[in-house]
Amino acid sequence: MAFGASGGMRYTARDLANRALRRNTSQQEIQLMVLTPDFDSRPVISFQHVWKTYPTGTEALRDINLVVPEGDFLFLVGPSGAGKSTLVRLLIREEKPTKGKIFVEGIELGRMKRRKLPYYRRKIGLVFQDFKLLPNLTVYENVAFALRVLGEPDRLVQSRAAEALDTVGLAGKEQTYPSNLSGGEQQRVAIARALVHAPRMIIADEPTGNLDPATAWEIMQLFLRINSRGATVVMATHNREIVDLLRRRVIAIDAGQIARDDRSGRYHDDVSKPQIRAQ
Amino acid sequence: MTVLAATMTMFRNLRFALNSAWQSFWRNLAVSLAAVLSITLILVLAGVNLLVGHALSQVLDGFREKVSVISINVADGTPLPSVYDFQQRLSTDRRVASVRFITKEQALANFTADPNNAVLAQQLDGNPLDAKLEVKVKALADVAAIDTVARQWSGVDPSNPTNYQGDFVNRMLQLSQWLGLAGVGLLAILVVVSVVIVMNTIRTAVYHRRKEIEVMKLVGATEWFVRGPFVIEGVMTGLIAASIALALLVIAYPPAVAQFRSDIAFIPLSYDPTFISSLARDLLLGGALLGALGSYIGVRRYVRL
Repeated sequence: MAFGASGGMRYTARDLANRALRRNTSQQEIQLMVLTPDFDSRPVISFQHVWKTYPTGTEALRDINLVVPEGDFLFLVGPSGAGKSTLVRLLIREEKPTKGKIFVEGIELGRMKRRKLPYYRRKIGLVFQDFKLLPNLTVYENVAFALRVLGEPDRLVQSRAAEALDTVGLAGKEQTYPSNLSGGEQQRVAIARALVHAPRMIIADEPTGNLDPATAWEIMQLFLRINSRGATVVMATHNREIVDLLRRRVIAIDAGQIARDDRSGRYHDDVSKPQIRAQ
Repeated sequence: MTVLAATMTMFRNLRFALNSAWQSFWRNLAVSLAAVLSITLILVLAGVNLLVGHALSQVLDGFREKVSVISINVADGTPLPSVYDFQQRLSTDRRVASVRFITKEQALANFTADPNNAVLAQQLDGNPLDAKLEVKVKALADVAAIDTVARQWSGVDPSNPTNYQGDFVNRMLQLSQWLGLAGVGLLAILVVVSVVIVMNTIRTAVYHRRKEIEVMKLVGATEWFVRGPFVIEGVMTGLIAASIALALLVIAYPPAVAQFRSDIAFIPLSYDPTFISSLARDLLLGGALLGALGSYIGVRRYVRL
């Protein structure tokens, strides 16, 4: 399905609703759909013929075209080494595209000045498989850290961090160190840190990769809640159950190319094709 | 953003940097101590170099003082007005610090007063000594020129015009130049070596904290925000090292001078307490700069976005 690449087709709320209703979708899923905000808005992310070749010669991405509207919730799926992580790294400007252009909120990432990069990163919230918490800081300090970096005043740091910890259900654990928390709790801290500065976009790379199914589902609920408040969520994942249950937009990447872009897709487009199964 | 808000943000960032520098110094105490130790050793070496240089220059100054005075012997029978006239001419010369006229009688009195000359003085018949003009020259390099002026004066004693020993003065000048150059060279080598050592020590410290830096960058810290705490920690490390080095040097300085003087008596080395304050300033400044520079370079590889 090729939409957005040439700029012709766009998601619309009605379009999505029709789709959801045509299929025999569960009440819960429709509920989640309705929470997704305005699909008529301008795209927050757009990839235009993006290629990424690493210095080693590995062609990680080939001619990627992608448009993500504001408020979208999108899964990046595909086997390991397919290029999901490269796509995420391009989005957070840890890498620059070899060819093509990437726009996020109107800024072209490839041409962004190095000194502007911190200010770009402040607009996004990042969540990783390995949490990336600072072990020598308490839960509170880890979350507050994202605000300290912005030079926010103490009072604001305190109230925002407390609010974020409350959102992820960790109120009362402020003074605990990450090493004393379970994997799920650590990921909650990471999510609290990612949303404490109210970013308009959350990028998550395998956020449930290290978690058991029940915990993974709890973490997903948090992402859905963040999305329902208007933030765009881009999530690379291997978690088939979650993708299949949520029926959100799914972009399957295989061998550096977009193999599939379904507006309310499943992990595999066809269960009879086990070769796309995650490794 | 208003100026006030920007200032407040800067102030908060500085406070954050100070806090985290202080915390990380104590949290990574082993690495911090390694850095302190290496900077201390370097600063002790640098301090010894400065002290030796200072002592030598003191000794050289003593010699210079002596050779920068030149005596012009006045021929017997030179009319006094002519001598005064020449004295006046010399004292208006910009290169000359002072001129003193010593009459024949004073010269004899000075000569006999010296106990070394007692035997000789008894055998003296009349006064064979010349009247003298003792000229103190400001710069050692100008002594030769003053000597030339003196030799051209009509009233000078032609058989023994002045006590100027050109060779000796030139050698003194060369020696002091070489010593100065050697000191500077040694100091330059020390600076390079120390920056490399400090850089590597701090790079090790930074390597332990690369994850922290990575997270800082991911949440949108600017390069200076990441670098700040490390540079401040470097300055702290440098200042602590400088204090230790200074304490060691201050304790060791007087006994070292005393030992030297008892061993090599003819070199007039002396203890100079006023030099301590300038040594303290140099070491503290050097330590702080060294720590800051080492941190700045050490952290650069990890900080670049």
